[in-house]
Amino acid sequence: KSCQTGTISTAEAAVQSQTSRDASVQTDQSKDAVQDFQQEVQVDYTSLLSFLQRVEDAVIKELNKNWRSRAFDGFEVNWTDQNETVLCLHTLSYPEAQDQNLQVTSVSWNATGSVVACSYGRLDAGNWSTEKSYVCTWNLDRRGLNPQRPDLVVDVPSSVMSLAFHPSQPSLIAGGLFSGELVVWDTSRTEDPVIWRTGMTDDTHTDPVYQVNWLPDAKHRNHCRLLSVSTDGKILVWREERDGRLALAEGFAVVAQQMPRSTQLKKFAWGEAAVGVTSLSFSHFDPRVFVVGAESGHSLKCSTAAETLALHWTGSSVPLRAPADFAFSPHGGPVYSVSCSPFHRQVLNLFLSCGTDGQVHLHSMLQPHPLLSLQLSKKYLFCVRWSPVRPLVFAAASGEGNCYKCFCSTGEVHLFDFERSSQKPALSIQQAADERPVYCLEFNVRQTRLLAAGDATGTVKVWQLSSDFTEQGPREMNHLEQLASEITD
Amino acid sequence: GIPIRTTLDNSTTVQYAGLLHQLTMKARNTVRDIDPQNDLTFLRIRSKKHEIMVAPDKEYLLIVIQNPCE
Repeated sequence: KSCQTGTISTAEAAVQSQTSRDASVQTDQSKDAVQDFQQEVQVDYTSLLSFLQRVEDAVIKELNKNWRSRAFDGFEVNWTDQNETVLCLHTLSYPEAQDQNLQVTSVSWNATGSVVACSYGRLDAGNWSTEKSYVCTWNLDRRGLNPQRPDLVVDVPSSVMSLAFHPSQPSLIAGGLFSGELVVWDTSRTEDPVIWRTGMTDDTHTDPVYQVNWLPDAKHRNHCRLLSVSTDGKILVWREERDGRLALAEGFAVVAQQMPRSTQLKKFAWGEAAVGVTSLSFSHFDPRVFVVGAESGHSLKCSTAAETLALHWTGSSVPLRAPADFAFSPHGGPVYSVSCSPFHRQVLNLFLSCGTDGQVHLHSMLQPHPLLSLQLSKKYLFCVRWSPVRPLVFAAASGEGNCYKCFCSTGEVHLFDFERSSQKPALSIQQAADERPVYCLEFNVRQTRLLAAGDATGTVKVWQLSSDFTEQGPREMNHLEQLASEITD
Repeated sequence: GIPIRTTLDNSTTVQYAGLLHQLTMKARNTVRDIDPQNDLTFLRIRSKKHEIMVAPDKEYLLIVIQNPCE
């Protein structure tokens, strides 16, 4: 049998448009596009009223049921794989630097969160160091990552004490040197990565630069300025000049005589001396307010809008101002690190400070005495950082220090969670096998599970935190505010 | 959905209005697909931080966000 379709009838016709007209449509950029709705909508208020009357009872019933309900108590849904343990994902090192017994002085994550950089130097070098050092970067997302071979190694003639990646350009990194200079490298350039440097001028710091920060420039939006902090007591802000130089834009100097007096603090004995500044942290809510940690053990609240000139600021091309307006009660030793909470919204700005007395102080910017004083260990605490995702968590790096007569130097990374305990760390990770101190740590803001910590053996370990350190609990912000306010009462 | 009255800030309101309108339509369609005689009367979404309640209607939508005490 075969089948065959019958003939299909077809016809052809042509079409041509005779007339045509052009019209274009463009939506105007309305300045307050969102504001407009209140005026434009034609609302039939009577039908709106009847709608609201219809649903009012149902909604109120549901609202009441909700706040009395115990149905969801303890009910939690896990959307991501929960991992319970803290793992060491990578152990990165540069063997040549380790052979020279260099230590990791600073770590930094870049803007995309995939590259970690560390600087090699010596923190216990004493007053003079001519050792050269290295800045190494590793791209953790690359395949074929060799932990012993950094993607980029920059030779630096002097010890690098601090590093900071640019907050939005993933290849720029700034470093503060032992000699007091600042250098900015561009890691995407193959020949000479140095793009800006301060050089040794009259403006340069006379002591090692212990911290560098990038500051968004209010006037030129795409440019950032660099801020450097040093134990010579100066906090300097640099801007980029065309010839690759960094020039001083403004500066502050902390002088003992100008330290703000508080009735509860004792008078200072050392008169006009400069007070060495070791660390700085900007408030996340008021960009002009920052906190510095000083060698005298005090934390100071400062403002970029301060007007009084510092005493004896000779030799600088730009007048230096005294920034401090409030002093907090001191630690028993120099403060090595301060960190402002990225979460606390209200005026009661919280920040942490740690130092050689092994204590972490939780301060509110409103009062001189700490809200909480935690003796984390008997060893020095070199670095403290708030977690970028959990308002109640922070990490601290500990190391050397003499306890009683014996010299025990266990380098640990302590993770503290106020939700679990406000007395002792939730977790203490021992970083180096031979108990060398951990000098620096940084949370990865993009990949929030990662924490990088650098230690005295010259190794950077990238830790992956367990989910309980990275997932915000339902009432965590309230808990934080409660913690702050119940202690102030 | 076009917001008529709100107690939140404008950008959040617009976000909630748009997203929840779509979700409400989807929920309503789901209910009617399963049983054409049925219709959506109320929608509650519980998240880690709060609960969102939507009372739908032919022309209007009432959205309430509640922070239930635990």
